[in-house]
Amino acid sequence: MAHLPLEIINLEKSFGTGFLNLKKVKPVKGISFEVKEGEIFGLLGPNGAGKTTTLKMITGLIFPDAGTISIFGKSSLSASSRKRIGFLPENPWFYEYLTAREFLKMTGGIFSIPSSEIRQRTDSLLERLGIAHAADTQMRKFSKGMLQRAGLAQAIINNPDFIILDEPLSGLDPIGRKDVRQLIIDLKKEGKTILFSSHILSDVEDVCDSVVILNSGLIKQKGRLSDLTATSAGTVEIQTQGPEMKLSDFPEKLRDSIQIESISRGTRLIFTEENANKNEILSFLIDAGQNIDKVFKHNRSLEDIFMENSSESKQQEN
Amino acid sequence: MGAILSISINTFREAIRNKIFYALAFFALLIIVTGHFFADISLHNEKRVLWDIGSGLISFFALALSIFTSASIIHKEIDKKTIYLVLSKPVERWKFIAGKTLGLLATVYSVITAMLLIFIVEMLLTGVSPGVNIFKAFILIMGEVLLVVSVSILFSSFSSPFITGMMTIGAVFIGRMLPDLKQILFMKYEHDFWRNLAESLLQVFPQLYLFIPNGHDFNGYHVSITTDFVTWGFIGWSMVYTLTYSCVILAIASLILSKRDLT
Repeated sequence: MAHLPLEIINLEKSFGTGFLNLKKVKPVKGISFEVKEGEIFGLLGPNGAGKTTTLKMITGLIFPDAGTISIFGKSSLSASSRKRIGFLPENPWFYEYLTAREFLKMTGGIFSIPSSEIRQRTDSLLERLGIAHAADTQMRKFSKGMLQRAGLAQAIINNPDFIILDEPLSGLDPIGRKDVRQLIIDLKKEGKTILFSSHILSDVEDVCDSVVILNSGLIKQKGRLSDLTATSAGTVEIQTQGPEMKLSDFPEKLRDSIQIESISRGTRLIFTEENANKNEILSFLIDAGQNIDKVFKHNRSLEDIFMENSSESKQQEN
Repeated sequence: MGAILSISINTFREAIRNKIFYALAFFALLIIVTGHFFADISLHNEKRVLWDIGSGLISFFALALSIFTSASIIHKEIDKKTIYLVLSKPVERWKFIAGKTLGLLATVYSVITAMLLIFIVEMLLTGVSPGVNIFKAFILIMGEVLLVVSVSILFSSFSSPFITGMMTIGAVFIGRMLPDLKQILFMKYEHDFWRNLAESLLQVFPQLYLFIPNGHDFNGYHVSITTDFVTWGFIGWSMVYTLTYSCVILAIASLILSKRDLT
């Protein structure tokens, strides 16, 4: 049976702070989720939600207090579980005295990749990430965007099946963000599984198949992005062509549920499916001699879901 | 082995691209060149003075370089978070320690080998035969470097560079003065229990005096690099000691690092 790229069960982590580490903070309070093969999975949440702590536990940099993490069926506590993964830490620091080529040679060597193959992969990755021109420049002279690209190159030097990226888009300019987003999509097309954390929601929405929304160390929402954004509270917009309509033209029971406005060749109606029946309104409009031009369903955006969960958590904390 | 080799090559690169290291290495090479001036002003003791100064300087700079390069070796990786890029890969933490140690040893050994070669050339130019003893002394210095680097890496696995440097210098002083300290403690304590306890505690420190035998008494005879130096058997046992001690110390450092959350 093929194992999942990532399976997390009841994961908990606390840290000691203050004098003699006596005060405890718990950034991760028992979370469970799984990442399926071939998907782009987003780990979302505001600052301090527990995203980075979770990713560090997955990559063996810190150890869980409780719970288990399996990477392709192997415990994350074993170094061998990291053979098939690539990892880009948040705001990565580099050995700045190394050139990009030396850096990739070092990381390739860690995976015991033969030298000739490292050379080949290094050239191709530097080209792919647009930093081939700086291959032999010490990384202390790199811009933030170039460093992020070098970080991405080291994360995929071993041709991993599962790629973990912690805030890969932070600090990048719009072109850099577009390039990285495209790289993530391309990697998915190559059959890779990608887990990435971010608080830039529009980027996540563009590329993710599934998400987990974390807040205060707990999972607030998880599932396929399409399911999460489609569930309830969708807003429907209907545009008609025909004689201009007023609210008083509608049956009384619908008047409180819809908003209408004139547009160039007809009328626009906006309502939520919770408050009004779309089919009933469409029938009424057709009977009233209107031509139905367009019907849109505006799903909840990821930002709506994110904000709802963030405000819920704040209310609970207060 | 791939991971250990890659980490050690990176550590070597880091050291040799450090400007302070260059300055120290250059100063070490320069000062050894000046050795023959001291030999020249001695009265008919050119050979002894040259040998003493040469081997003493190599030993001193080997220790200085060892402490300088190793004091921040682990702490800096954690502080700068570069360790994330290594330990998030299939690398056991003991391999990280092993790679760092080998890289540091390669760095220090390169410099002291250069010092030795310059010293040999200097001796030949001065008309002094190098002799086998200088190689024996060099092997002992290499052993001492291994011990000091291991002790420093142990301290570096849980403390800051400053504390590591201070503790390592303390361990070097105690290690080099162990016979004197033993004598002082034996004079101070008359009861066997306290004497045994003191001796046991001193055994924990690296026995660095074994590696600078020149000018000391061993097994009833005075050791001199120019005349009666230590035997190959003594060197062999010293190397067994340094390897065993270093392996134990580095295993403890690995254990400490393997339990540590890299936050």
